[in-house]
This record gives sequence, C-alpha cells and structure tokens, in this order.
Amino acid sequence: MRYMLRRLGWFLLTLWAAISLNFLLPRMMPGSPADAAIAKLSQNGPVTEETRAAVEAQLGVPDGNLLQQYVDYLGQILSLDFGISYAFYPEPVSTLVAQALPYTLILVGLVTIASFAIGTLLGVLAAWKRGTWLDALPTVGGSFINTFPYFWTALLLLFLLGYVLHLFPTFGAYSATTMPALSVEFVLDALYHAALPAFTMLITSLGGWIIGMRNAMITTLGEDHVTFAEANGIPGRTVALKYAARNAILPNLTGFGMALGGVVGGSVLVEQVFGYPGIGFLLFNAVTGQDYPLMQAIFLMITISVLVANLLVDILYGILDPRTRR
Amino acid sequence: MTPRPLLTPGRRALPSGCGPLESPTPSTGRSPLRRRTLLAGSALGLTGLVASGCSLQIRSEPDPTIGDDTLLIAGDKGTPTFTANFNPYQPSPRTAATIIYEPLIWINPLDGELAPWLAESWDQPDPQQIVLTLRDEVTWSDGTDLTSGDVLYTFQMLKDFPANDTAGVWSRIDTIEAEGREITVTLLAADSPALPVIGKTLIVPEHIWSTVEDPSTWRNEEPIGSGPYTLSNFTSLQYTLDRYEGYWQRDAIDVAHLVYPAASEELDLVTKGYDWAYAYMSDVENTWMAANDDNRYWFPPGGIIGLHPNHDVEPFGNADVRRGLALAVDGDQVAEVAAEGYMEAASQSGMLLPNQADLLNPDLPDRGIIGRDVDAAVAAFETAGFRHDGTTMLTPEGEPFTFAISTANGYTDWLRAAQEVQRELADIGIAVTIDAPQPAAYEANLSSGDYQVAIASSNGSDAFEGFSNLLSGEYYVPLGENGQNNRIRYRNDEVDELITRYRSSVDLAEQDEILQRLQRIFYDDIPIVALYYGGLWGLYNEGRFTGWPTAEDPYAPLQTYQSSPLMVLSRLRRVSQEEA
Repeated sequence: MRYMLRRLGWFLLTLWAAISLNFLLPRMMPGSPADAAIAKLSQNGPVTEETRAAVEAQLGVPDGNLLQQYVDYLGQILSLDFGISYAFYPEPVSTLVAQALPYTLILVGLVTIASFAIGTLLGVLAAWKRGTWLDALPTVGGSFINTFPYFWTALLLLFLLGYVLHLFPTFGAYSATTMPALSVEFVLDALYHAALPAFTMLITSLGGWIIGMRNAMITTLGEDHVTFAEANGIPGRTVALKYAARNAILPNLTGFGMALGGVVGGSVLVEQVFGYPGIGFLLFNAVTGQDYPLMQAIFLMITISVLVANLLVDILYGILDPRTRR
Repeated sequence: MTPRPLLTPGRRALPSGCGPLESPTPSTGRSPLRRRTLLAGSALGLTGLVASGCSLQIRSEPDPTIGDDTLLIAGDKGTPTFTANFNPYQPSPRTAATIIYEPLIWINPLDGELAPWLAESWDQPDPQQIVLTLRDEVTWSDGTDLTSGDVLYTFQMLKDFPANDTAGVWSRIDTIEAEGREITVTLLAADSPALPVIGKTLIVPEHIWSTVEDPSTWRNEEPIGSGPYTLSNFTSLQYTLDRYEGYWQRDAIDVAHLVYPAASEELDLVTKGYDWAYAYMSDVENTWMAANDDNRYWFPPGGIIGLHPNHDVEPFGNADVRRGLALAVDGDQVAEVAAEGYMEAASQSGMLLPNQADLLNPDLPDRGIIGRDVDAAVAAFETAGFRHDGTTMLTPEGEPFTFAISTANGYTDWLRAAQEVQRELADIGIAVTIDAPQPAAYEANLSSGDYQVAIASSNGSDAFEGFSNLLSGEYYVPLGENGQNNRIRYRNDEVDELITRYRSSVDLAEQDEILQRLQRIFYDDIPIVALYYGGLWGLYNEGRFTGWPTAEDPYAPLQTYQSSPLMVLSRLRRVSQEEA
C-alpha cells in the first residue's frame, strides 16, 4: 500500500510539472500567434499595418502578467475549456480534438495492440525455433523494415499501391462523397481508408516487438526452471508459453504500456502522409500555426495519457513482480 | 552548392516494365510568391527515387463521373478536412467564400487595373471623395435585391467589428452615405489611392448579416451571396458550388458546377485530372505538363522577392553599401536557382514586368534591371569607405564585413535564393550567414527590426501602395518597436513628399509622373535590392474549358483565391457545347 501511495504521489508531482511546462513552453517560442497568422497571410503578398491590427483583434494577444495567465490556465484545465483555436479560428479546441480523437484512437490504438500481439507471438516463435528460418525471417525481416524511416515506407506504399496500382484510396479517412455516420456503408468505407495507413504502421513497428520478445525469451529459455520443465517431459508448447514466455514478456509489457499511452498523440507522419484527420495531423497544424490553445490541449492529453499508462504499468509491475515493491 | 528539396533520383530497377526516365517529383507548397516544403512535399520527392528508375510516368486519370459542365478545381486544401466556414472576413475561410461574395470593384492582381463589378462606375471628384454607382438588378442568391443599404451595412459592420476590417478601410474613411444607387465616400484626408482599397471590399447582405450577433466569429455555414455560384453540397472532404441562375451577368457564366476536393496534394493534382490548380510544382514540364496533353501553366510575376536591408543597422543605411550589394548579385542567376528558372530577375524600378510595362519609367537603363558587375560592386563599397584586400571585404574599421540574411524556415525557394546570394557575395569577400527561424519568429524579427538583411517580398500589383507601404516615413518606427509597413526603416523626405502629392492627386497623368519619379529613387537609392519576381503559379487544363488567361491575354492571374476566380469564371467556355 505504501508503494502504491508513493507511486501516486510521484504521479501527481510529475503531472503538475508537466502541466506547468505545457503552459510555459509555448510562451517561450519566439513570435506570437498573430505573427504566425501574418506569416501565412504574407504568402499572398505583403501584409499591411491594418491587416495586422485586424488579426490581432481577432486572435486576441495574450495579455496580463504570466502569473495571472497561469491561474486562468489552471482554471480552464479543470473545466476542460481550452479556448478557441487560433489556426482553425473560430473553432473551439475541444470540438477539434473531439473530432480527431476517434480516428486516431481506432487507427493507432488498434494497430498498436495488433502489433504488440503479433510481434510478441512471432518473437516467442522465433526464440523457440531459434536458428531455423522461423527465427531468421521475422527477426531479420522485422529489423530490416524497422531501419527505414516509417514515413518513407508510408510514402512508398502510398505511391505504389495508391497512385500507381489504385488498390487503396490516397487521402482521408473516408470517401469525399460519404458523410460520417454510424452506418455499415460508412464503416466499411472508413476501414478501407484505414487499411493502408494501418498496414504501414503495423509492418514498421512489428520488428521492435519481435526482437524485444525474442531476446528476452532466449535468456529465459536458458534458465534452470525451463530446462527442468523440459527434462520432465512437459510438452514444448506449454514450456514455451507458460514457462518461458510468461516470464520473458515483462519488458515488452512495459513497452506496450508506454506505447498505449502514446496512442492519443497519433502518428504525425503517417497521418500527414495519408491525409488522415487524426490528432497527429491536428498537432502538426497546431505547431506550424503557433496555435497555443490547441497545442496545449493536445500536449496535455498526451502527457496525461503517458503518465497514467506509466502509473498503471508501475502498479502492474508491483503486482507481477514483488521484488519491485521495495 | 544549392541543395534542392529533392533527392537525386537513384537508378533502381523495378520488376515492372521500364522506359524513359521521368521523375514525378511534384513538390513544394502552394503558396503564391513563395513556396514552402511541407512534410509531404519534400517527402514526395522521395517517391521519385523509385519512380525515376522506371517508367512510372504519372498520367492524369480524370474521374469519368465529372460532367462536361463541371470544373474540378484545386483551390482549397483541407487540413486535412474542411470546416464549413464561408465568412469571407475571417482569417481562413473556405476559398470559395470570395466568389460567393463580390467586390464593388474588381482589381487585377497582375497590374492593379480596376474593372467595374458591383459598382458599374466610379468617380473621384476630389482626392478626398469617391462616388460609386451601384449596378442595378443585382440580387442575392435568395432572390432579395442588392441595394446601397447592403453596401452601407457592410461598411458599418467593418466599423463595428474591427477584427473584420482586414483591409483597414476605416483607417481611411470618414463618412459613407448613399443616395439611390450613388454611394459617396468621404475620406479622412486627401487619399486618392484609397479607391482600390475601398473598391475591393466584399459586400454582404444586410438582411442576413444584421441578424448575426458577432460577424467576426460567425461561420456562415450556408452562405447567401451575390456571386455567380451558390453552395450546393458540403462534406468535410469536398464541396460543390452550383451556378446561380439569377446572377447579374448570368450570360457570362458557362461553367455550371465547381468541385473543390480537400485532397489536393501535388500528386493528386497530377493524377486526378484537375481543370484548374494553383501550385508550384518542381519541374513542371515533366510533372504537370507530362501528365496530360492539354495541361498548361502560366507563371506571371506577382511580387518582388528582394534583399531587405535594415536601414537602422549599420552599414545598411549607406546607399553605396546597398548599391554594392545590388551590383554584386545576379538576379537572373538567383531566379534560376530559387525558382528553377521559371521567374526572371526583378527590375529595380519596383514594377512587375511585363505586367506593369506601361507604368515603367522609360529613362531607366535596361528596364531597371541591375546586372552583376563585380568591379563596380567593389568600387561602390570603396566609395562607402570599405576596402577590398584581394580576398576579403573590410569595413571602414578594418574588420571583415559579414552579415546575416534572415529568411523563414520552410520557404525553400527563399532559402535557395539566400544561398545563391551567399555564394555570389563570397566572390567579393563578404561572408554571409543565413538565419532561418520559424515563420512566426521571422515575422516578429522583421516587425521589431531585429535583423540585418532579410529576404522578403514587396511591391505588387498596386504600384503606388507597394512604394508607400515599403518606404513611407509615416510608417517608420525605431528599432525595438513593432511595425508592419516600412519594416526596413527607410526615411527619405523626397519620397514622403511624392507620396503626399500622389495622395492628393486625382490626375492620372500626374500620378504616372510621380510613380516614375518614385521608380527613379527606387533605382538610384536602392532601399531594397530587388532579386527576382515571385510567381503566381497557375496550372490549367484546356481540354474541357477554354478562355483561360495567358501571357497574351493577361486579364487575370490564375490564382484560385481572393476575387480572381470571379473574372476567370466569367471568361471560361466549355469546349463541348451540349447545352441547347
């Protein structure tokens, strides 16, 4: 119990630090939101004094001293009011996030789970059959694909399968003529659009899980209790899964917890390449548009999810492995 | 020397049939005047790596369901989706908002020529007054008449909601009154150049807008305007407009529907059979032009990209130093490197050539283009007290002369221009560093004067406003204070006097004469060093529609934003006429 309380205390402290950093960092960036908006406008030719005045009137320049802004900011967080987006003026930040979140959660979330499950199983297989092609193929193949930057793999697949062979749509989360709705037609359409980005993320992330699991598993396979189990004639499958894998999975589980926490951040590059309307794309727009309110909301969401995931992994560890409790 | 955003195509064999080398490296950004490489842009270059080894020539494959009377336009880019926002007074509404609402006077962004639009005529009886006569028989798309009441309402709305007054009409207007269809605008001072600023105001319907609580935050999801098209169908990935049958010049509009998809990455432009797009595409001959036999492009100048020295930072206040810089750089070479040769060296007259050739001061040698002359450059620096010791340019204090050029991160063509300038100045022993912060920081630095020399764009279709915004002493603010106009912190009494004279003149001949004198000063005093023209990157396909503006008939640029499409759409004609 003391362990849990201590974990919780750390969690709260980190949370406060993260929230405060989240407040400070955007304000330390050079240039104001109005400057960012004007930089965008000035691409259509020089911008005049009057336009700047109008833009500043529209966006509202942050005023009041930093402390006052900080207090307001904390109040807003508690009421989940993140204000109006600058880059998508006059949309409220909460609406934008609410629109983007489902796409990211489903796409990135499912892919992360699938990738963890498939990768870990392949890792078990590779370690059990080490030295055979069942080991070489996933291990070498996985790390080979892993070495490409994944946006590059994404672009390659998009170009070949989307633009050249026309097997997959090239843009968006659903067809231009479909309206988002809870119908079979829409869901099928959305799945069709998610297939290529999901496949890309899956093949590029598998390698890590496979290798992590395989290496941990090989170490475990060398342990006395495994040898003992094998010597006792327990069937191979049982030894592999119940005696070795169960012990070897701990590091991968930690990684999985962290990855799940990061899911809400979306995948900036993949979403950008496939024009997928998730959190990653939103974050990219927020950063390039110097959109403090939107940036803060997204960063806060990511931070909290990672922290919560961390806390859960910590607690889970405490349960699984008594040694960590003290 | 000058890295391009694309990788050099590698020759990789692919198992499919190979043919002539084509590298579909569509690329960087769609902003006018300047291009930026976004993630997708630069990364798309990578696909060239594979395609180039093999004959994956990208051809357009138009959607067969798009009819002969429907124009597919890449005029609005989703982020990645659209939100329904047709309030033309907001910072980023849907692009079509500016063809649903119309201006009083249409202005050609190429040369600043005015064309009657909602106002059929206008007059400036004295420099402090503008009288506009509103066209008769204009209706809103809900059938209501457009009256001078709507015009008065629009201006009043801009006054009540300054956030919407992006053109700053109320920094120039004193009062506005209407009598029948005649609208009289009294200005705060003698200010003849206010005509285009006031004329380009988009008029909105009073009977709808006056019921809105705050027009500066209103999204206007179902717009009612006076323009040739009305919103038909909106989804977050595409919207369509239908022709308004009650439009005041209905006879001029032949295109029945417009389709704006959100997916308009460069690769989409090339493959999806767009009729009209606005984008800078690298190697346009082998990408856009090769995709379809009827694809065409036209890149007229839309502004001047130049070196903007900070006159309050030594030694850039010295005209000889600026002349030395101007003589040391080769505008054509910079254009070649920065804009792949699609644009030319800019005239130091401040005019966009050939668009504004009729305004050009004929006394300027070589149409105002200052060529590279290294010896003359060194001589100019020596006049300023500098010394060239054979390898290095030394300041009057004996220190090596170095300075930083600021540009914005992501504006790849500006960066290439800066790098070329860096290379050329190295020839005369000047070491230049390049500073490229994020666009917002770049803007902030220029406003507060925290820079030495910046790459920036200036001038434009309105020749006078170009000069006055850049040079007028009334906009001067000292270093450390923020200004948006005259960020170079230029002061010249003669220029100020000419600007004042121009504003109090309604005599076209006198205005022309003043413009010519301003060009002379621009040429002699070199407040900024003009490098090359920023282009307006129009791409079109003449397979299904004709009547597009061209270099021979430059009635409008091909920009898909602001009011330009109003003019272009009134000139387009279907190639296959099936309609009875």
